[in-house]
Amino acid sequence: MPTASSEGEAPRGLNRIAGIAARWVGKSWLFVLFFVSLFVFWEIGVDLFEVPRYILPKPSTIVEKGWADIDRLLYYTYITGLETVLGYGISVIIGVPFGLAIAFSSILRRTVYPLFVSIEMVPKIAFAPLFISWLGFGLLPKVIIVILVCFFPIVLNAILAFGSLSEELTRFCRSTGANAWRTFLKVRLPAALPQCFVGFKYAAINATVGATIAEFIGSDQGLGFYIQIVTGNMRPDLAFAGIFLLTLLGLTLFGLVTLAERLLIPWHISVRRR
Amino acid sequence: MGARLSLRAVAKTFGTGPSAVHAVGPADLTVPAGGFVSLVGPSGCGKSTLMLMIAGLEPPSAGEITVNDEPVTGPRTDIGIMFQDNTLVPWRTVRGNIELNLELRGLDPRAYADRIDDLIRKTHLTGFEHRRPYELSGGMQQRAAFCQALVHEPQTALLDEPLGKLDAMTRELIRGDLQALWLTSRPTVVFVTHSIEEAVQLSTTVCVITPRPGRIERVIDIDLPWPRDRAVKRSRAFGDQVAEIQEIFHAYGVL
Repeated sequence: MPTASSEGEAPRGLNRIAGIAARWVGKSWLFVLFFVSLFVFWEIGVDLFEVPRYILPKPSTIVEKGWADIDRLLYYTYITGLETVLGYGISVIIGVPFGLAIAFSSILRRTVYPLFVSIEMVPKIAFAPLFISWLGFGLLPKVIIVILVCFFPIVLNAILAFGSLSEELTRFCRSTGANAWRTFLKVRLPAALPQCFVGFKYAAINATVGATIAEFIGSDQGLGFYIQIVTGNMRPDLAFAGIFLLTLLGLTLFGLVTLAERLLIPWHISVRRR
Repeated sequence: MGARLSLRAVAKTFGTGPSAVHAVGPADLTVPAGGFVSLVGPSGCGKSTLMLMIAGLEPPSAGEITVNDEPVTGPRTDIGIMFQDNTLVPWRTVRGNIELNLELRGLDPRAYADRIDDLIRKTHLTGFEHRRPYELSGGMQQRAAFCQALVHEPQTALLDEPLGKLDAMTRELIRGDLQALWLTSRPTVVFVTHSIEEAVQLSTTVCVITPRPGRIERVIDIDLPWPRDRAVKRSRAFGDQVAEIQEIFHAYGVL
Protein backbone atom coordinates (compact mmCIF):
# COMPACT_ATOMS: atom_id res chain seq x y z
CA MET A 1 0.00 0.00 0.00
CA PRO A 2 1.67 3.23 -1.12
CA THR A 3 0.03 5.30 1.65
CA ALA A 4 1.45 3.16 4.47
CA SER A 5 4.31 5.50 5.31
CA SER A 6 2.15 8.62 5.55
CA GLU A 7 -0.29 6.74 7.79
CA GLY A 8 2.48 6.01 10.25
CA GLU A 9 3.13 9.72 10.76
CA ALA A 10 -0.53 10.66 11.17
CA PRO A 11 -1.72 11.64 14.68
CA ARG A 12 -3.48 9.03 16.79
CA GLY A 13 -7.15 8.58 17.69
CA LEU A 14 -9.97 10.65 16.25
CA ASN A 15 -7.67 12.76 14.08
CA ARG A 16 -6.40 9.60 12.51
CA ILE A 17 -9.89 8.31 11.76
CA ALA A 18 -10.79 11.75 10.34
CA GLY A 19 -7.67 11.56 8.21
CA ILE A 20 -8.60 8.15 6.82
CA ALA A 21 -12.16 9.37 6.13
CA ALA A 22 -10.82 12.50 4.42
CA ARG A 23 -8.53 10.40 2.24
CA TRP A 24 -11.40 8.09 1.37
CA VAL A 25 -13.57 11.06 0.39
CA GLY A 26 -10.64 12.45 -1.60
CA LYS A 27 -10.38 9.21 -3.56
CA SER A 28 -14.12 8.56 -3.86
CA TRP A 29 -15.68 12.03 -4.03
CA LEU A 30 -17.25 11.31 -7.39
CA PHE A 31 -18.97 8.22 -6.02
CA VAL A 32 -20.09 10.12 -2.89
CA LEU A 33 -21.51 12.90 -5.06
CA PHE A 34 -23.33 10.37 -7.25
CA PHE A 35 -24.70 8.53 -4.24
CA VAL A 36 -25.93 11.71 -2.52
CA SER A 37 -27.51 12.91 -5.81
CA LEU A 38 -29.44 9.64 -6.05
CA PHE A 39 -31.02 10.24 -2.65
CA VAL A 40 -31.71 13.89 -3.40
CA PHE A 41 -33.41 12.85 -6.66
CA TRP A 42 -35.41 10.26 -4.75
CA GLU A 43 -36.46 12.82 -2.12
CA ILE A 44 -37.51 15.44 -4.70
CA GLY A 45 -38.87 12.93 -7.21
CA VAL A 46 -41.45 11.45 -4.82
CA ASP A 47 -43.03 14.91 -4.34
CA LEU A 48 -42.53 15.98 -7.95
CA PHE A 49 -44.25 12.95 -9.48
CA GLU A 50 -46.76 12.72 -6.59
CA VAL A 51 -45.92 9.11 -5.80
CA PRO A 52 -48.32 7.83 -3.13
CA ARG A 53 -46.45 7.23 0.15
CA TYR A 54 -47.81 3.66 0.45
CA ILE A 55 -45.95 2.93 -2.82
CA LEU A 56 -42.62 4.73 -2.30
CA PRO A 57 -41.84 6.89 0.75
CA LYS A 58 -39.26 9.69 0.76
CA PRO A 59 -35.85 8.99 2.31
CA SER A 60 -36.56 11.62 4.97
CA THR A 61 -39.80 9.82 5.89
CA ILE A 62 -37.93 6.51 6.07
CA VAL A 63 -35.41 7.98 8.49
CA GLU A 64 -38.09 9.71 10.56
CA LYS A 65 -40.43 6.73 10.88
CA GLY A 66 -37.58 4.29 11.24
CA TRP A 67 -36.14 6.34 14.08
CA ALA A 68 -39.53 6.20 15.84
CA ASP A 69 -39.32 2.38 15.78
CA ILE A 70 -35.56 2.20 16.36
CA ASP A 71 -35.67 -0.08 19.45
CA ARG A 72 -37.44 -2.85 17.60
CA LEU A 73 -35.30 -2.35 14.49
CA LEU A 74 -32.04 -2.56 16.42
CA TYR A 75 -33.15 -5.66 18.31
CA TYR A 76 -34.14 -7.34 15.06
CA THR A 77 -30.82 -6.29 13.49
CA TYR A 78 -29.14 -8.06 16.38
CA ILE A 79 -31.25 -11.20 15.79
CA THR A 80 -30.60 -11.32 12.05
CA GLY A 81 -26.96 -10.43 12.63
CA LEU A 82 -26.62 -13.30 15.11
CA GLU A 83 -28.10 -15.79 12.61
CA THR A 84 -25.83 -14.46 9.87
CA VAL A 85 -22.62 -14.42 11.90
CA LEU A 86 -23.25 -17.86 13.45
CA GLY A 87 -24.08 -19.45 10.09
CA TYR A 88 -21.17 -17.75 8.37
CA GLY A 89 -18.67 -18.52 11.12
CA ILE A 90 -19.65 -22.18 11.28
CA SER A 91 -19.41 -22.39 7.47
CA VAL A 92 -15.84 -21.07 7.55
CA ILE A 93 -14.83 -23.27 10.49
CA ILE A 94 -16.10 -26.51 8.93
CA GLY A 95 -15.78 -25.51 5.26
CA VAL A 96 -12.03 -24.98 5.16
CA PRO A 97 -11.07 -28.34 6.77
CA PHE A 98 -13.61 -30.05 4.49
CA GLY A 99 -12.00 -28.42 1.46
CA LEU A 100 -8.57 -29.44 2.69
CA ALA A 101 -9.66 -33.05 3.19
CA ILE A 102 -11.29 -33.24 -0.25
CA ALA A 103 -8.25 -31.68 -1.94
CA PHE A 104 -5.98 -34.37 -0.51
CA SER A 105 -8.17 -37.48 -0.51
CA SER A 106 -8.80 -39.16 -3.83
CA ILE A 107 -11.71 -41.11 -2.29
CA LEU A 108 -13.45 -37.94 -1.07
CA ARG A 109 -12.71 -36.29 -4.40
CA ARG A 110 -14.60 -39.04 -6.20
CA THR A 111 -17.52 -39.19 -3.74
CA VAL A 112 -18.19 -36.06 -1.69
CA TYR A 113 -16.80 -33.57 -4.20
CA PRO A 114 -19.24 -34.35 -7.07
CA LEU A 115 -22.05 -34.32 -4.50
CA PHE A 116 -21.02 -30.85 -3.32
CA VAL A 117 -20.74 -29.57 -6.89
CA SER A 118 -24.26 -30.90 -7.62
CA ILE A 119 -25.67 -29.29 -4.46
CA GLU A 120 -24.02 -25.99 -5.41
CA MET A 121 -26.09 -26.14 -8.62
CA VAL A 122 -29.33 -26.45 -6.61
CA PRO A 123 -30.97 -23.16 -5.60
CA LYS A 124 -30.40 -23.90 -1.92
CA ILE A 125 -33.02 -21.44 -0.77
CA ALA A 126 -35.53 -23.99 -2.07
CA PHE A 127 -34.65 -26.12 0.96
CA ALA A 128 -35.56 -23.33 3.36
CA PRO A 129 -39.26 -24.22 3.87
CA LEU A 130 -38.25 -27.84 4.57
CA PHE A 131 -35.80 -26.83 7.29
CA ILE A 132 -38.40 -24.56 8.87
CA SER A 133 -40.94 -27.40 8.89
CA TRP A 134 -38.38 -29.83 10.34
CA LEU A 135 -36.84 -27.57 12.94
CA GLY A 136 -39.49 -24.98 13.78
CA PHE A 137 -39.37 -21.21 14.16
CA GLY A 138 -36.28 -20.77 16.31
CA LEU A 139 -32.71 -19.67 15.68
CA LEU A 140 -31.42 -23.10 14.57
CA PRO A 141 -33.23 -23.42 11.18
CA LYS A 142 -32.09 -19.89 10.24
CA VAL A 143 -28.48 -20.66 11.09
CA ILE A 144 -28.71 -23.87 9.08
CA ILE A 145 -30.11 -22.05 6.05
CA VAL A 146 -27.29 -19.48 6.27
CA ILE A 147 -24.83 -22.40 6.42
CA LEU A 148 -26.53 -23.95 3.40
CA VAL A 149 -25.92 -20.75 1.45
CA CYS A 150 -22.34 -20.08 2.72
CA PHE A 151 -20.82 -23.54 3.11
CA PHE A 152 -20.55 -24.65 -0.52
CA PRO A 153 -18.78 -21.63 -2.03
CA ILE A 154 -16.34 -21.79 0.89
CA VAL A 155 -15.67 -25.53 0.45
CA LEU A 156 -15.39 -25.39 -3.34
CA ASN A 157 -12.93 -22.50 -3.22
CA ALA A 158 -10.93 -24.18 -0.44
CA ILE A 159 -10.64 -27.35 -2.56
CA LEU A 160 -9.34 -25.25 -5.43
CA ALA A 161 -7.02 -23.36 -3.07
CA PHE A 162 -5.38 -26.38 -1.45
CA GLY A 163 -5.24 -28.36 -4.69
CA SER A 164 -3.32 -25.84 -6.77
CA LEU A 165 0.14 -25.46 -5.28
CA SER A 166 2.64 -25.12 -8.14
CA GLU A 167 4.56 -28.20 -9.21
CA GLU A 168 7.84 -26.39 -8.51
CA LEU A 169 6.94 -25.54 -4.93
CA THR A 170 5.64 -29.06 -4.33
CA ARG A 171 8.96 -30.51 -5.58
CA PHE A 172 10.98 -27.95 -3.63
CA CYS A 173 9.18 -28.92 -0.41
CA ARG A 174 9.67 -32.64 -1.09
CA SER A 175 13.38 -32.10 -1.73
CA THR A 176 13.80 -30.54 1.71
CA GLY A 177 12.43 -33.67 3.38
CA ALA A 178 9.86 -31.56 5.25
CA ASN A 179 6.96 -33.60 6.65
CA ALA A 180 3.35 -32.97 5.60
CA TRP A 181 2.55 -30.79 8.63
CA ARG A 182 5.54 -28.48 8.22
CA THR A 183 4.94 -28.18 4.47
CA PHE A 184 1.30 -27.35 5.20
CA LEU A 185 2.09 -24.69 7.77
CA LYS A 186 4.92 -22.97 5.93
CA VAL A 187 3.84 -23.27 2.30
CA ARG A 188 0.47 -24.84 1.53
CA LEU A 189 -1.66 -22.83 3.96
CA PRO A 190 -0.33 -19.35 3.12
CA ALA A 191 -0.37 -20.20 -0.59
CA ALA A 192 -4.03 -21.25 -0.32
CA LEU A 193 -5.32 -18.17 1.54
CA PRO A 194 -5.99 -15.91 -1.49
CA GLN A 195 -8.28 -18.47 -3.16
CA CYS A 196 -9.94 -19.23 0.20
CA PHE A 197 -10.82 -15.56 0.53
CA VAL A 198 -12.61 -15.66 -2.83
CA GLY A 199 -15.01 -18.14 -1.19
CA PHE A 200 -15.17 -16.19 2.10
CA LYS A 201 -16.16 -12.99 0.31
CA TYR A 202 -18.71 -14.63 -1.95
CA ALA A 203 -20.28 -16.32 1.08
CA ALA A 204 -20.27 -13.04 3.05
CA ILE A 205 -22.33 -11.39 0.30
CA ASN A 206 -24.88 -14.20 0.38
CA ALA A 207 -25.08 -14.78 4.14
CA THR A 208 -27.64 -12.03 4.85
CA VAL A 209 -29.72 -13.21 1.87
CA GLY A 210 -29.98 -16.63 3.50
CA ALA A 211 -30.94 -15.21 6.89
CA THR A 212 -33.56 -12.85 5.42
CA ILE A 213 -35.28 -15.49 3.32
CA ALA A 214 -35.28 -17.92 6.23
CA GLU A 215 -37.07 -15.27 8.29
CA PHE A 216 -39.54 -14.60 5.47
CA ILE A 217 -40.58 -18.24 5.52
CA GLY A 218 -41.13 -18.70 9.18
CA SER A 219 -40.14 -16.61 12.17
CA ASP A 220 -41.41 -14.23 14.81
CA GLN A 221 -38.42 -11.89 14.94
CA GLY A 222 -35.56 -10.52 12.83
CA LEU A 223 -35.37 -7.98 10.01
CA GLY A 224 -36.78 -10.39 7.41
CA PHE A 225 -39.81 -10.98 9.64
CA TYR A 226 -40.10 -7.21 10.23
CA ILE A 227 -39.99 -6.32 6.52
CA GLN A 228 -42.69 -8.87 5.74
CA ILE A 229 -45.01 -7.69 8.52
CA VAL A 230 -44.68 -3.95 7.86
CA THR A 231 -45.13 -4.47 4.10
CA GLY A 232 -48.34 -6.35 4.87
CA ASN A 233 -49.42 -3.33 6.96
CA MET A 234 -48.84 -0.96 4.01
CA ARG A 235 -45.80 0.61 5.67
CA PRO A 236 -43.10 0.67 2.94
CA ASP A 237 -41.30 3.40 4.94
CA LEU A 238 -40.57 0.90 7.71
CA ALA A 239 -39.75 -1.83 5.17
CA PHE A 240 -37.12 0.46 3.68
CA ALA A 241 -35.74 1.18 7.15
CA GLY A 242 -35.36 -2.58 7.60
CA ILE A 243 -33.72 -2.93 4.19
CA PHE A 244 -31.21 -0.18 5.05
CA LEU A 245 -30.24 -1.99 8.24
CA LEU A 246 -29.93 -5.31 6.38
CA THR A 247 -27.66 -3.62 3.86
CA LEU A 248 -25.60 -2.17 6.69
CA LEU A 249 -25.36 -5.65 8.22
CA GLY A 250 -24.19 -7.17 4.94
CA LEU A 251 -21.70 -4.37 4.36
CA THR A 252 -20.28 -4.77 7.87
CA LEU A 253 -19.73 -8.50 7.41
CA PHE A 254 -18.16 -7.99 3.99
CA GLY A 255 -16.01 -5.16 5.36
CA LEU A 256 -14.74 -7.34 8.21
CA VAL A 257 -13.84 -10.14 5.78
CA THR A 258 -12.05 -7.65 3.53
CA LEU A 259 -10.18 -6.29 6.56
CA ALA A 260 -9.12 -9.82 7.51
CA GLU A 261 -7.96 -10.34 3.94
CA ARG A 262 -5.82 -7.20 4.09
CA LEU A 263 -4.26 -8.28 7.36
CA LEU A 264 -3.65 -11.90 6.38
CA ILE A 265 -2.53 -11.59 2.76
CA PRO A 266 -1.17 -8.04 2.30
CA TRP A 267 1.29 -9.57 -0.16
CA HIS A 268 -1.35 -10.80 -2.60
CA ILE A 269 -1.79 -8.97 -5.89
CA SER A 270 -5.51 -8.41 -5.35
CA VAL A 271 -4.79 -6.58 -2.08
CA ARG A 272 -1.65 -4.74 -3.29
CA ARG A 273 -3.49 -3.22 -6.26
CA ARG A 274 -6.05 -1.43 -4.06
CA MET B 1 33.34 -30.62 -1.93
CA GLY B 2 30.60 -32.05 -4.04
CA ALA B 3 29.12 -35.52 -4.35
CA ARG B 4 29.86 -38.12 -7.03
CA LEU B 5 26.92 -38.83 -9.33
CA SER B 6 26.47 -41.83 -11.51
CA LEU B 7 23.69 -42.82 -13.91
CA ARG B 8 23.63 -46.35 -15.31
CA ALA B 9 21.22 -47.20 -18.16
CA VAL B 10 18.65 -44.78 -16.73
CA ALA B 11 15.41 -44.61 -18.71
CA LYS B 12 12.02 -43.02 -18.17
CA THR B 13 8.73 -43.96 -19.78
CA PHE B 14 5.55 -42.05 -18.98
CA GLY B 15 2.32 -44.02 -19.08
CA THR B 16 1.81 -47.65 -20.13
CA GLY B 17 0.61 -49.61 -23.12
CA PRO B 18 0.30 -48.12 -26.59
CA SER B 19 0.03 -44.54 -25.26
CA ALA B 20 3.32 -44.81 -23.34
CA VAL B 21 5.89 -42.11 -24.07
CA HIS B 22 9.52 -43.08 -23.98
CA ALA B 23 10.95 -39.80 -22.67
CA VAL B 24 14.53 -40.51 -21.69
CA GLY B 25 17.33 -42.95 -22.09
CA PRO B 26 18.91 -45.29 -21.66
CA ALA B 27 21.40 -42.75 -20.34
CA ASP B 28 24.82 -43.36 -18.79
CA LEU B 29 26.78 -40.62 -17.10
CA THR B 30 29.37 -40.20 -14.39
CA VAL B 31 29.92 -36.84 -12.76
CA PRO B 32 33.04 -36.54 -10.59
CA ALA B 33 32.84 -34.79 -7.23
CA GLY B 34 32.91 -31.05 -7.76
CA GLY B 35 32.11 -31.29 -11.47
CA PHE B 36 29.89 -28.83 -13.28
CA VAL B 37 27.89 -30.75 -15.87
CA SER B 38 25.58 -29.04 -18.31
CA LEU B 39 22.78 -30.87 -20.07
CA VAL B 40 22.25 -29.05 -23.35
CA GLY B 41 19.48 -29.78 -25.78
CA PRO B 42 16.29 -28.50 -27.36
CA SER B 43 12.93 -28.23 -25.56
CA GLY B 44 11.27 -31.49 -24.70
CA CYS B 45 14.43 -33.59 -24.90
CA GLY B 46 14.07 -34.92 -21.36
CA LYS B 47 16.71 -32.77 -19.67
CA SER B 48 14.37 -31.80 -16.86
CA THR B 49 13.16 -35.36 -16.40
CA LEU B 50 16.75 -36.51 -16.09
CA MET B 51 17.35 -33.87 -13.43
CA LEU B 52 14.21 -34.78 -11.48
CA MET B 53 15.32 -38.43 -11.46
CA ILE B 54 18.73 -37.47 -10.03
CA ALA B 55 16.90 -35.48 -7.32
CA GLY B 56 14.83 -38.55 -6.50
CA LEU B 57 11.65 -36.63 -7.28
CA GLU B 58 10.77 -38.86 -10.23
CA PRO B 59 11.57 -42.60 -10.17
CA PRO B 60 13.39 -43.94 -13.24
CA SER B 61 11.57 -46.68 -15.18
CA ALA B 62 14.84 -48.55 -15.61
CA GLY B 63 18.49 -48.29 -14.57
CA GLU B 64 20.12 -46.96 -11.43
CA ILE B 65 21.24 -43.58 -10.15
CA THR B 66 23.75 -43.30 -7.32
CA VAL B 67 25.01 -40.35 -5.30
CA ASN B 68 28.33 -41.13 -3.62
CA ASP B 69 27.69 -44.79 -4.53
CA GLU B 70 24.40 -44.74 -2.64
CA PRO B 71 21.33 -45.58 -4.77
CA VAL B 72 18.69 -42.85 -5.09
CA THR B 73 15.36 -44.28 -3.96
CA GLY B 74 13.42 -41.19 -2.90
CA PRO B 75 13.75 -37.39 -2.66
CA ARG B 76 17.30 -36.50 -1.65
CA THR B 77 17.63 -33.82 0.98
CA ASP B 78 21.36 -33.25 0.47
CA ILE B 79 20.79 -31.41 -2.80
CA GLY B 80 19.87 -27.85 -3.69
CA ILE B 81 17.28 -27.59 -6.40
CA MET B 82 16.21 -24.70 -8.58
CA PHE B 83 13.72 -24.39 -11.42
CA GLN B 84 13.06 -21.99 -14.27
CA ASP B 85 9.99 -20.78 -12.35
CA ASN B 86 11.53 -19.94 -9.01
CA THR B 87 10.21 -21.19 -5.70
CA LEU B 88 10.16 -17.82 -3.96
CA VAL B 89 6.91 -17.29 -2.05
CA PRO B 90 5.28 -13.83 -2.13
CA TRP B 91 4.47 -13.69 1.60
CA ARG B 92 8.14 -13.75 2.60
CA THR B 93 10.97 -11.30 2.02
CA VAL B 94 14.17 -12.27 0.19
CA ARG B 95 15.76 -13.21 3.50
CA GLY B 96 12.60 -14.98 4.64
CA ASN B 97 12.57 -17.01 1.44
CA ILE B 98 16.17 -18.08 1.97
CA GLU B 99 15.27 -19.04 5.53
CA LEU B 100 12.24 -20.99 4.28
CA ASN B 101 14.54 -23.68 2.87
CA LEU B 102 16.21 -24.02 6.28
CA GLU B 103 12.92 -23.99 8.20
CA LEU B 104 11.47 -26.72 5.96
CA ARG B 105 14.51 -28.81 6.87
CA GLY B 106 13.97 -28.15 10.55
CA LEU B 107 17.19 -26.12 10.76
CA ASP B 108 17.50 -22.96 12.85
CA PRO B 109 17.87 -19.96 10.49
CA ARG B 110 19.77 -18.04 13.21
CA ALA B 111 22.59 -20.56 12.99
CA TYR B 112 22.90 -19.71 9.30
CA ALA B 113 22.77 -15.90 9.63
CA ASP B 114 26.39 -15.44 8.50
CA ARG B 115 25.96 -17.86 5.61
CA ILE B 116 22.85 -15.95 4.45
CA ASP B 117 24.66 -12.57 4.74
CA ASP B 118 27.51 -14.00 2.69
CA LEU B 119 25.22 -15.35 -0.04
CA ILE B 120 23.30 -12.06 -0.23
CA ARG B 121 26.57 -10.17 -0.62
CA LYS B 122 27.94 -12.52 -3.25
CA THR B 123 24.76 -12.38 -5.33
CA HIS B 124 24.64 -8.57 -5.06
CA LEU B 125 21.36 -8.48 -3.19
CA THR B 126 22.60 -6.31 -0.35
CA GLY B 127 19.92 -3.74 0.48
CA PHE B 128 17.16 -5.91 -0.95
CA GLU B 129 17.02 -8.63 1.70
CA HIS B 130 13.83 -7.20 3.21
CA ARG B 131 12.04 -6.76 -0.10
CA ARG B 132 9.41 -9.18 -1.29
CA PRO B 133 9.94 -11.09 -4.55
CA TYR B 134 7.34 -9.06 -6.48
CA GLU B 135 9.29 -5.88 -5.70
CA LEU B 136 12.38 -7.26 -7.48
CA SER B 137 13.36 -7.54 -11.13
CA GLY B 138 13.40 -10.96 -12.75
CA GLY B 139 17.19 -11.12 -12.46
CA MET B 140 17.15 -10.28 -8.76
CA GLN B 141 14.45 -12.87 -8.16
CA GLN B 142 16.64 -15.54 -9.71
CA ARG B 143 19.61 -14.37 -7.61
CA ALA B 144 17.45 -14.71 -4.52
CA ALA B 145 16.37 -18.14 -5.73
CA PHE B 146 20.05 -19.18 -5.99
CA CYS B 147 20.55 -18.18 -2.36
CA GLN B 148 17.42 -20.09 -1.38
CA ALA B 149 18.58 -23.25 -3.19
CA LEU B 150 22.14 -23.15 -1.85
CA VAL B 151 21.75 -21.86 1.72
CA HIS B 152 22.04 -25.28 3.38
CA GLU B 153 25.42 -25.84 1.64
CA PRO B 154 24.30 -28.82 -0.44
CA GLN B 155 26.90 -31.16 -1.92
CA THR B 156 24.93 -31.22 -5.14
CA ALA B 157 23.06 -28.45 -6.92
CA LEU B 158 20.50 -29.28 -9.60
CA LEU B 159 19.67 -26.18 -11.62
CA ASP B 160 16.91 -26.54 -14.21
CA GLU B 161 17.21 -23.61 -16.63
CA PRO B 162 17.60 -21.11 -13.79
CA LEU B 163 18.39 -18.30 -16.24
CA GLY B 164 15.86 -19.38 -18.88
CA LYS B 165 13.46 -16.48 -18.49
CA LEU B 166 16.02 -13.69 -18.21
CA ASP B 167 17.24 -11.26 -20.82
CA ALA B 168 20.68 -11.79 -22.39
CA MET B 169 22.44 -9.05 -20.40
CA THR B 170 21.11 -10.20 -17.04
CA ARG B 171 21.99 -13.81 -17.88
CA GLU B 172 25.54 -12.79 -18.61
CA LEU B 173 25.85 -11.00 -15.25
CA ILE B 174 24.34 -13.81 -13.19
CA ARG B 175 26.48 -16.45 -14.93
CA GLY B 176 29.53 -14.66 -13.56
CA ASP B 177 28.14 -14.73 -10.01
CA LEU B 178 27.15 -18.36 -10.37
CA GLN B 179 30.64 -19.30 -11.54
CA ALA B 180 32.26 -17.40 -8.67
CA LEU B 181 29.99 -19.18 -6.17
CA TRP B 182 30.79 -22.58 -7.66
CA LEU B 183 34.54 -21.92 -7.73
CA THR B 184 34.63 -21.07 -4.00
CA SER B 185 32.83 -24.14 -2.64
CA ARG B 186 32.91 -26.55 -5.61
CA PRO B 187 29.62 -28.42 -5.17
CA THR B 188 28.70 -30.87 -7.91
CA VAL B 189 26.36 -29.08 -10.28
CA VAL B 190 23.95 -30.42 -12.87
CA PHE B 191 22.87 -27.50 -15.00
CA VAL B 192 20.11 -27.65 -17.59
CA THR B 193 20.21 -25.08 -20.38
CA HIS B 194 19.31 -24.37 -24.01
CA SER B 195 22.32 -22.15 -24.48
CA ILE B 196 25.48 -23.79 -25.82
CA GLU B 197 27.57 -20.73 -25.01
CA GLU B 198 26.28 -20.71 -21.44
CA ALA B 199 27.10 -24.40 -21.07
CA VAL B 200 30.65 -23.99 -22.41
CA GLN B 201 31.31 -21.00 -20.17
CA LEU B 202 30.18 -22.62 -16.94
CA SER B 203 30.93 -26.31 -17.26
CA THR B 204 33.67 -28.83 -16.74
CA THR B 205 31.61 -31.19 -18.91
CA VAL B 206 28.87 -30.62 -21.47
CA CYS B 207 26.38 -33.37 -22.30
CA VAL B 208 24.76 -33.01 -25.67
CA ILE B 209 21.20 -34.37 -25.45
CA THR B 210 19.14 -35.29 -28.52
CA PRO B 211 15.38 -35.57 -28.29
CA ARG B 212 12.68 -38.26 -28.36
CA PRO B 213 13.77 -40.24 -26.52
CA GLY B 214 16.31 -38.03 -24.76
CA ARG B 215 19.76 -39.55 -25.13
CA ILE B 216 23.15 -38.32 -24.00
CA GLU B 217 24.62 -38.17 -27.47
CA ARG B 218 28.08 -36.84 -26.59
CA VAL B 219 29.95 -36.01 -23.42
CA ILE B 220 32.49 -33.26 -23.99
CA ASP B 221 35.04 -32.14 -21.42
CA ILE B 222 35.62 -28.40 -21.61
CA ASP B 223 39.29 -27.71 -21.16
CA LEU B 224 39.43 -23.94 -20.77
CA PRO B 225 41.05 -21.88 -18.00
CA TRP B 226 39.11 -20.62 -14.92
CA PRO B 227 37.55 -18.24 -14.25
CA ARG B 228 35.96 -18.05 -17.66
CA ASP B 229 35.75 -14.29 -17.89
CA ARG B 230 35.40 -12.04 -20.92
CA ALA B 231 38.95 -12.68 -22.04
CA VAL B 232 38.36 -16.44 -22.14
CA LYS B 233 35.03 -16.00 -23.91
CA ARG B 234 36.75 -13.93 -26.61
CA SER B 235 39.44 -16.58 -27.13
CA ARG B 236 39.69 -18.77 -30.19
CA ALA B 237 39.44 -21.96 -28.14
CA PHE B 238 36.11 -20.88 -26.61
CA GLY B 239 34.65 -20.11 -30.00
CA ASP B 240 35.87 -23.42 -31.43
CA GLN B 241 34.30 -25.32 -28.55
CA VAL B 242 30.91 -23.63 -29.05
CA ALA B 243 31.11 -24.24 -32.81
CA GLU B 244 31.94 -27.93 -32.30
CA ILE B 245 28.80 -28.46 -30.21
CA GLN B 246 26.69 -26.49 -32.66
CA GLU B 247 27.91 -28.83 -35.41
CA ILE B 248 26.79 -31.89 -33.43
CA PHE B 249 23.25 -30.50 -33.09
CA HIS B 250 23.31 -29.51 -36.74
CA ALA B 251 24.21 -33.07 -37.72
CA TYR B 252 21.12 -34.30 -35.82
CA GLY B 253 18.92 -31.79 -37.56
CA VAL B 254 18.23 -29.88 -34.38
CA LEU B 255 20.04 -26.67 -35.26
